[in-house]
Amino acid sequence: MKKKKQAVMTSTGVPVRQKPLSLRIWNHRGYYIMFLPVLIFLIIMNYWPMLGIRYAFYDYKPVGEPVFVGLKHFEKMFSTDAFWVAFKNTLQLSIMKLILTTFTSVIVSIFLNEMGNLFAKKTLQTIIYLPHFMSWAVVASIFSLLLSPSSTGMVNGWLRDLGILAQDAKGIYFLADSKMWRPIFYLINIWKETGWGTIIFLATLSGINPELYEAGDIDGATRMQKIRYITLPALANTIITVLILNLAKVMNMFESVFVLYNNAVYDVSDVISTYIYRQTFAVALPNYGYSTAVGLFKSLVGCFLVLVCNWASKKTRGRGIV
Amino acid sequence: MKKKLVSVLLTAAMVASLVGCGGSKEEAPAETTEKTEASAEKAETPDENAEAPAESYQLDKITMVVNGTLTATVDNGQADFEKQWEDAVGVDLEIQQLDHSGYVDAVGRLFAGGDYPDVIIMSADMYAQYAPTGLLWDMTEAYENADFQARMALPTINEALKKDGKLYGFAPTYGNGCVTYVKQAWLDAVGLKAEDIKTYDDYYNMLLKFHNEDPDGNGVNGDTYGVVAAGFVGNEAPYINYLPEFWQDAYPALVQDANGTWIDGFQTDATKAALLRLQQAYADGAIDPETLTASTKIAREKWFSNDQTGSAGVFTYWAGSWYQTLTDNLIKNEVDENIVQLAPIAEVGKYLNREAPVWCIIDDGDGDNAREQAIFDAFIETMMDGDVVQTLWTYGAEDVHWSTKAESFVTNPDDPEKKKEYSYEDGVFHLKPSPNDPNSLWKKNHLDPALVVCPLTNGYVDQSELAVAGNKFFTENCVDAPISPASETYTNESGTIYDAKLAVITEVVVNGGDVDAAMETYVSTVGSIVDQCLSELNAAE
Repeated sequence: MKKKKQAVMTSTGVPVRQKPLSLRIWNHRGYYIMFLPVLIFLIIMNYWPMLGIRYAFYDYKPVGEPVFVGLKHFEKMFSTDAFWVAFKNTLQLSIMKLILTTFTSVIVSIFLNEMGNLFAKKTLQTIIYLPHFMSWAVVASIFSLLLSPSSTGMVNGWLRDLGILAQDAKGIYFLADSKMWRPIFYLINIWKETGWGTIIFLATLSGINPELYEAGDIDGATRMQKIRYITLPALANTIITVLILNLAKVMNMFESVFVLYNNAVYDVSDVISTYIYRQTFAVALPNYGYSTAVGLFKSLVGCFLVLVCNWASKKTRGRGIV
Repeated sequence: MKKKLVSVLLTAAMVASLVGCGGSKEEAPAETTEKTEASAEKAETPDENAEAPAESYQLDKITMVVNGTLTATVDNGQADFEKQWEDAVGVDLEIQQLDHSGYVDAVGRLFAGGDYPDVIIMSADMYAQYAPTGLLWDMTEAYENADFQARMALPTINEALKKDGKLYGFAPTYGNGCVTYVKQAWLDAVGLKAEDIKTYDDYYNMLLKFHNEDPDGNGVNGDTYGVVAAGFVGNEAPYINYLPEFWQDAYPALVQDANGTWIDGFQTDATKAALLRLQQAYADGAIDPETLTASTKIAREKWFSNDQTGSAGVFTYWAGSWYQTLTDNLIKNEVDENIVQLAPIAEVGKYLNREAPVWCIIDDGDGDNAREQAIFDAFIETMMDGDVVQTLWTYGAEDVHWSTKAESFVTNPDDPEKKKEYSYEDGVFHLKPSPNDPNSLWKKNHLDPALVVCPLTNGYVDQSELAVAGNKFFTENCVDAPISPASETYTNESGTIYDAKLAVITEVVVNGGDVDAAMETYVSTVGSIVDQCLSELNAAE
């Protein structure tokens, strides 16, 4: 049965008689010509490289012709424990980091919003924004020095001075302890990204109608009550939006882990991107086919998450993100 | 309907693109040398081609890929080195110097992009993996007929590199290795003498004293360590050379036993015993705990740091010119510069001389050897000419890195304590101040004159006493390291195997875990892969 073509309507409900596509393109040729460079750029820079995904089905080494191997790399990937450890870690680290940094940003935003002294507020804002502009390599160097297990490690020194560690006790190797690595990773992320994350929440807070607070004052609401009944509900939509938008990026975790992890904590820190890196660059003659297969799987999961987020966004905000 | 049609067309376009891109790669490496004079009597068969006269090929340019072993870097007189090389050889030289620490992956990316140089330096591991691929030119005949054979002082070095009788890379020097250096001031502080350190117990006792008896004299016990290293095990052959006293007779890699059978040295009792020694040392503070994560740069800098708190008394590092470099750095950081080389303890026997890095020529796969032979003649033959070009590779550019002209100069002129005056008469060979650091003397370029397989014939020698002593000490106390394995499975899985080994080492040494349990985990994780590697290696023998 032939599906009836849906008519295009104006906002007032009057049906519009559409011209043929070719005529419409011709009529808007100026816009199409302006769009052409963008289209060419997108094809060359975004879509052309995607053709490389075919190597997921090849044995592809720096030397020799690629050899088609079908699903061999996927079979190897799914039967490798290290891959599943990396996959699980990617999800756990990303999602926990997202939740923690988002909610810390919300709390700090509310504190900043409540500060009466404008100079102190601006100064504090500047201070907490600064870590965002430091590269991960610098951040890792700083924390490696602070957390060093050797006698020069500052944190271990404090623990000794406070009597928590005996003077002759061996220093704690924070970044090489599977139990401690994740909490430290989250703390470093919170320290680095909370300030930057407050910007969007502060913008939302500045848009709250002051009359609501005045009404609260008249009703005798305390500061905590105003935060609970006015500020937080106003922020809710933004929090959900931030969470949804960032959920789509959870698979893209590399730099922050790469600079902080080591072989002692692979079990809790190795993520898909670092796993791919080692499989590709830590061997003399890498098989790019395998790392492409792992990368393709990562992209598919990321794509799935984008669709989930789009669905969630439609549900909560009434409009999608893609 | 229109949408469906557009969808079908788009899908068809995508499939067509995929098919189009799936075409064969360029078969031959990009030829950077141009054939300007083709041989009129080109032979038909590959064998006949192999005898094609080199004179038939006019070489205009050589592209070379090298790691950090070319000391004449861009900011350290490379342009002068390149210019003088081109003037001497009559061929244009294009140098691509890649980051030393990321060299392996940079080379992989280069090749994967179809960007093949004419000559490339490879470590023993890389050479073992790439030799069977057909990418490297078989230079056996060229090597055997080379002019430098008449002056060859160390023929066994390159003979050992042959795979099934074929040589795919030329080692201009022997591999060198690491020796154990000890700070003399620390020995004095704890009342020990280097010559008394003869066994593992002596060595371990020294490490404990360095940890517990305040060798840096700052009044605090326990804030120094016995030894520091870049990892408990290295990621390239010979793996154990940074902590040989702990590894002793263990070799935690695929290795040939006395019968020539390939075995997994990591699963042996010797390795288990070594892991227990490391475990004990880590627990006792004899090893700096940062050894787990330290890079070579970090380990080095901790060792010769201005602030000796947190430093170590022992450091096992490269022999020869590094003896001088370590001393220079201690002086620079105002730390007592006297260091001694520790003779191998009884359990170690000898230090390991690693497999030598090699220069390889990329085979363009056209079945004609004329181009490759021309590259061999221009690049490798001249590198060992004993005179002008070998001097360039050994000491760098004339009047930039070294000179024979009369001159005087002063290093550290503003520091009365470090100030040193140099004066040379005309005709006397001498090294000049480094182009990028006028306060330190240039040491060498790519070739270490003490390690080279064919010595210089022009008599140019200007090595520091320490470097000479270091080389002499090493050559008197070394044996060749085991050869690196190469099999298809090992090539594909070496990263996975290495990760599994690190997991065991960390579990036992750092976490104090049970060595047998950790080994069982290793076997269950990569045991079948290792078995596959071993069966391939033994089948190939």
